[in-house]
Amino acid sequence: MKRIWWAQIKAVIRLEMRKTFFAKRGLWIYVVAALPVMLFIAYAIATSSQQNRSVSVARQGERPLAYQDLLAVKTGMTSQEVIAILGKPPITFHWTENRPPQTEKGASLEVLHEDYHYSDGQNDLFVGIADGKVESINIHQGNNLGQDSIMFAGVFQFFFLRLAIFFGCLGIFMNLFRGEILDRSLHFYFLAPIRREVVMAGKFLAGLLATCTIFVTSEVLQTIAFLWHFSPRARDLYLYHNHGLEHAAIYLGVTVLACVGYGAFFLVAGMLFRNPILPAAAILIWEGINPFLPAVLRQFSVIYYLKSLCPVDIPSPPGTPPVFALLISNSDPVAAPVAILGISIVALIALYVSSLQVRRMEINYSTE
Amino acid sequence: MNDRIVFEDVSKFYGEILGVNRVNLSIPPGITSLVGPNGSGKTTLMNLMTGLVRPTRGRIHVLDYKIDDPENLFKILGYSTQFDAFPKGLTGYQFIYSYLRLAGRDSQSAEQMAWRAIERVNLVDAAKRNIAGYSKGMRQRIRLAQALSHDPKVLVLDEPLNGLDPLARSEMIALFRATAAQGCYVIISSHILHEVDVISDQVILLSNGYVVAEGKIHNVRSEIQEHPTQILIRCSQPRELAAKMFEYEHTIEVSIHKDEHGLLLKTRDADRFYLALNEIALKGIDIESVAPADDDVLSVYEYLIGNEEVVR
Repeated sequence: MKRIWWAQIKAVIRLEMRKTFFAKRGLWIYVVAALPVMLFIAYAIATSSQQNRSVSVARQGERPLAYQDLLAVKTGMTSQEVIAILGKPPITFHWTENRPPQTEKGASLEVLHEDYHYSDGQNDLFVGIADGKVESINIHQGNNLGQDSIMFAGVFQFFFLRLAIFFGCLGIFMNLFRGEILDRSLHFYFLAPIRREVVMAGKFLAGLLATCTIFVTSEVLQTIAFLWHFSPRARDLYLYHNHGLEHAAIYLGVTVLACVGYGAFFLVAGMLFRNPILPAAAILIWEGINPFLPAVLRQFSVIYYLKSLCPVDIPSPPGTPPVFALLISNSDPVAAPVAILGISIVALIALYVSSLQVRRMEINYSTE
Repeated sequence: MNDRIVFEDVSKFYGEILGVNRVNLSIPPGITSLVGPNGSGKTTLMNLMTGLVRPTRGRIHVLDYKIDDPENLFKILGYSTQFDAFPKGLTGYQFIYSYLRLAGRDSQSAEQMAWRAIERVNLVDAAKRNIAGYSKGMRQRIRLAQALSHDPKVLVLDEPLNGLDPLARSEMIALFRATAAQGCYVIISSHILHEVDVISDQVILLSNGYVVAEGKIHNVRSEIQEHPTQILIRCSQPRELAAKMFEYEHTIEVSIHKDEHGLLLKTRDADRFYLALNEIALKGIDIESVAPADDDVLSVYEYLIGNEEVVR
């Protein structure tokens, strides 16, 4: 690449940064990027509070309990048997239920209900006792990195990738040219001794810098919020011995690739269409129906490759209809190098179309 | 090596709307004015010349450059458009500086050239203010500074005097003249005819997308046969001169000037008039001065286009 092109690209980026980062009409992108962070912060606060309560309940118990002790309680046991295993419950509730008579002449039946709440300091056991016998058992597991990492993967795949980054890229990349046509200021670039393709490259890189900064920061904050309420030991174990750090790095990489892929898509869409809603809806639908497309068409999609790169598979809950299960799971993943290459090729094709389009662009604001 | 701005059979249609049609031009150095009423195709011609719009048909060359090669074209061309919009949040200085950085200039030379251009349009005091707070005239001047900032060989200026006060107008006209005197091509569109008349080396008259005349104004005037040439003669015996002039069949109309020291004559044949005037002068009528009265842009414009939407 000629040295002057790089200097010109930097000049375009400098001009674009102000618009992409500080435009009033782009404030919603920060909100969308912040939403999962807020979600994980709220989750961390709720989980911490729950954990404190569990510790408090455990302290109030007759004796320290282990998780195995909590599992020892079975339905059908008597309340005395439960107390024999776990001791006197630290927290109890009871109430009386008046059951209607079984026959017309029969008397109504009073049933005594009791709820016992035990805890081992991390996991909670709720035992429902009716008429002296265990009727229901509910174990609420406390901090569980395994489950939480699946939740994190779910938020990442179904909200962050498909909605936050998708619409964030739409807001930034579609406006790179379209916004200036509406502002009637695009001619500023077209009157300079600079190749149109260089303008396009500069704008794309500026958009990429902005989206990567916003969404990578969001992803880092999400990871911090996600791990915040775990003990330092659990965090170390997850990060350094259980692929946690590797997963975090992969999520960041996928975030960057998503910005590249969707950015290139929306850059070309912003040049080809006056109304951004139509192409955005079309791309959203295309990405949404990707699992149902034939294998050949599936490759012309960003989400197909991104899903293949995600480090944690989300299991379909039992009983999920096959159609929805297909949406959740990645039935036909490709290898990471193929996915990275695929997304790069899709982005390059989109950028090539953009470069053809930008050469043909005319300044005719009155028709916009 | 091409030393002209050339339009070869150029047409531009916006959908079904005509921009310009079948334009053939060869523009030499100097100040060339595009004259015509609103919608006549002046801005389209300028946008075509600078590649902002592409011709539907025909070819355009600006010296040795094609209009689809902005990287090289705008090294020698500066365009001050009528678009009154700027990248948001920039000061006047930043606007010029950014433009020069886009052109690939390094920081130091961009800074020097930006200040020099700002000085040329007398906007130094306001250079550090945001353009959003500029008056119309200041915005006009900062656009001129942008067009001039990289010392282009070809300067295309769309209504460059709009919004300027009289002092600024005369300063800008002097600037255009100085630029043209250096051998540059200054293309100006204007509907203020007396200014066009003063500054132009040649004019291009446009009407409804067609070029109706082009060239030096005197040459254009002499080609308009259907309108008689008007000549103002200053002399001490206007009535005697008028009587003698009516003896020639090419004289159509004569009117005595209010001050009784001259007359306005309309003739069908200017060359024969001048021969006749020499004969009359030899017969003892004292002629002080002879000057064409309609050898200007305004008259040519009125003859060819009519008097719509022009400012005298």
